[in-house]
Amino acid sequence: MGDAICRVTRCAGIGRNPTDIGAKGKKMNIPVPGGDGPEIVTQESLLLGAAERISRIRDGRVAVHIHLSRLRPQNRQDGHVRIALRMLEPIVNAYRGQMFLLGTSDIVFMMKDPYVTDVENMIYKLRALFSKDPLTFQDGGDGQDKFCTWYELGESGDYEEFLQVARAATAAARKRVREKDAAPAERRSIDSKILGEVLTRLATMDVSKLIRRQAAMVIAKETQAVVLFQEFFVAMAELQRVLAPDINLMGNRWLFQHLSQTLDLRVLGALTGMKLRAQPNVYSLNLNISAVGDRAFEQFETHVKGQAGISVEMQILDILGDSRGFYATRQTLRDRGHMVTIDGLNELTMQFLDITQFDADLYKVTWSPDMTEGEHALTMSKAVATIGGDKILLARCDSEAAIGWGLNRGIKRFQGRYIDTMLAAFTMQSCDKASACTLAQCTNRHAVIAGPLRSECGNNDMLDSSPVMRAPRARSQ
Amino acid sequence: MSPTFERPITEQQKEIAQRLPAGENLLLDYLHKLERHRRGRRAVLARLSSLQAVNRREHHIRIASSTFEPMVKQLKGQVFTLSNCDLIFVFKEIALHEVESVIVKLRFMFNEDPALTDEGVGNRPSFFDWFLLERDYDSLLHLAQRMASDEEQRRSQEQMNSNKPIAHRRPVRRGEALTTEMLAKLEDALASADLANMLRRQAVCAIVGNTPPQPVFNELFISIADLRETLLPKVNLASSPWLFQQLTETLDRRILSLLNKHDDRTVDGDISINLNVQTLLAPEFLVFDDNIKASMRGTMVLELQKVDIFADLGAFLFARDFAHDRGYRICIDGVNMESLPFVDRVRLGIDLVKIVWDSAMMDGTLPNGETIETYVDRCGPSRSILCRCDAQDAVDFGQSMGITLFQGRHVENMLAAATAAKRGILSRRR
Repeated sequence: MGDAICRVTRCAGIGRNPTDIGAKGKKMNIPVPGGDGPEIVTQESLLLGAAERISRIRDGRVAVHIHLSRLRPQNRQDGHVRIALRMLEPIVNAYRGQMFLLGTSDIVFMMKDPYVTDVENMIYKLRALFSKDPLTFQDGGDGQDKFCTWYELGESGDYEEFLQVARAATAAARKRVREKDAAPAERRSIDSKILGEVLTRLATMDVSKLIRRQAAMVIAKETQAVVLFQEFFVAMAELQRVLAPDINLMGNRWLFQHLSQTLDLRVLGALTGMKLRAQPNVYSLNLNISAVGDRAFEQFETHVKGQAGISVEMQILDILGDSRGFYATRQTLRDRGHMVTIDGLNELTMQFLDITQFDADLYKVTWSPDMTEGEHALTMSKAVATIGGDKILLARCDSEAAIGWGLNRGIKRFQGRYIDTMLAAFTMQSCDKASACTLAQCTNRHAVIAGPLRSECGNNDMLDSSPVMRAPRARSQ
Repeated sequence: MSPTFERPITEQQKEIAQRLPAGENLLLDYLHKLERHRRGRRAVLARLSSLQAVNRREHHIRIASSTFEPMVKQLKGQVFTLSNCDLIFVFKEIALHEVESVIVKLRFMFNEDPALTDEGVGNRPSFFDWFLLERDYDSLLHLAQRMASDEEQRRSQEQMNSNKPIAHRRPVRRGEALTTEMLAKLEDALASADLANMLRRQAVCAIVGNTPPQPVFNELFISIADLRETLLPKVNLASSPWLFQQLTETLDRRILSLLNKHDDRTVDGDISINLNVQTLLAPEFLVFDDNIKASMRGTMVLELQKVDIFADLGAFLFARDFAHDRGYRICIDGVNMESLPFVDRVRLGIDLVKIVWDSAMMDGTLPNGETIETYVDRCGPSRSILCRCDAQDAVDFGQSMGITLFQGRHVENMLAAATAAKRGILSRRR
């Protein structure tokens, strides 16, 4: 950490430097008796102080505001921000500058007489690190750089504007700190000790109330859409609430994977005991490779045999972890007439993996508006063309735009909230009890297989049926 | 990735290790060849299998075996490492004195072990057994045959287990399964344990033709085998792959803090360490990066696990670009024959691929029908490392596929032999 930064932070009473992500937020001074409440020292207020101090010696100074807060949440986690700070550190130190990490993850730094090309090169590198985020490739159309903003602090520069930004940031930070104090503490991430307890609890729990279902649709002919399968899965938010409300079950990837192995078996057990009015044409289940080799799967198979097909959705993570197991499982599933689906693909996996190597029957790609732009758009068009639209299902379609994008690329299989609503609307058109319900109610009741939501519905037959609907059409794009 | 015997990831990988040709068969072959040349030959059996586990780790065996190497180089004898860790050295009588001095060395090496301190007490057999081939050929042959058939049986047992249809396949149980409770205890213990004595290094070497291996960089890792013996002797760490993955992540972090503490030359020169994507973005790594920069840094390779890379490609890409910017090279680790088709080095923008040796590779094709040669060709011969080479056939095969970089127990042996030979030449010159 450079002198300049340390000097600023130390005199302000913060022992930690901005690289320490823990310092993001606030530091409360001890309240002075008779004072008007504790002064809240934040990185923002330090920035404002520093900006005010230079008001008479602004010549040759510049400030840069890096808008990391505009990145997608998954791209601005602590690690990303830490690396960004690390990248900037040398240059900020070289020009005896000061750097501030705001509570929003934005970074602001000030320098004196920098060699602008140096700074620009560094920012270029930083931008490249985030090149997979729409922030760096999206064109707002207004010619503005959304990633960073420069301020000339000298005479006839942008000093006032910069001061305004610092003031606004300080006010926002103060507000955030107050709200945060009132908000409940963040959930603890799961660790191996807690996982043990969670597994014990899971062993005796009735998971059938946690199971959700969602239909996927395929456009059969020009004008007809039929249900391709019904996916049965565990509602993670619900599981979280019931199993360990104060623990973040997904806070550790490997421990969660371990948990999911047990969960698979419990779900298979619950589905084997489940009673629906009508079986779906195909059950689609998210399973670990290990679960397919378990007796619970065999029992489920026996249970639905002759009445419904089975499609097993597998994750890349699991396949890479046990590729040999995957090949064997794929063969076993095919031998028994089941379908093999690769789940959880996205614009990145499509770009960095040769998806066809999985040789699956169906590839489930998670829809994202990012697919419509820049590098991702190109990747997706190429990947869809290679794999063939017939082997792709576009999942999490929550808008007409998603469906339209897919249709225009020859994709005929869709799943997501948009389809749920379509299905509910179609159901209500022909349901004799429909006058008592809203569209949202119908959608929610479709999603469960047990519990009060289901019993509220006056026509469970309709809930379990797989109707033929009118196909959505693509608007020309 | 460290070798199989250090970090068994899955049962399958263990099975692979067990299919490798064993010293028993080589010994048997050799003895058959000697049938008419018994005269003037002797053999000594070193019962390393009777050593306590702490003294019987992989590096002990390697060192013990390498003490015979100079004589092997001078064509005075042949050394065989058996599956139970026992060593047999068959030699010409002219080397008797040298052999005796080696035995003294070995006794010295293990002189604290009950196998030697209590040698001959009660029913305990002597630690070394001598054979005069002219007289004891048959008994040695029988011994070798018995060992080979025991080994054969064990292997076919493994084979049978692994060939069962998937629905009936249960993991081969060796020891208790790793549970969350044990993992929690292990992680607690790791927080305070001194891992410095479990830090190991293994060289990745360039081997071209018949020339001796040239070390390219050294992998630093914590020996899981040692760790298990110390902390959880009866537990089969591979029984729960995801819990095991969690454990390696903890260990990777510990290695970093260990290296951060070391101001000696541990991290000097060209080295590689195992990391995961999240750790690469953690404060510990930035401290490490600072320390490395301060010293003269050579080639630094960061080895990332394939599962870790694919678990969150976005995070990986970010970490990759940062690491490249800092001058590190990235190696994808633990890519076995089955997962090879999924790993496109060029697409992933990775510098090196570590391919796990598997004797099944000799059948020629990958699960997608492509040949390994084609894969290596596309990946780049200087970009592919064949790791866990436990025998010469791995190196031979790798070379025939165009691979030039190798790692594993056998490579260590070759390296030790080369060093010993060089030393031999030097001392003769003196």
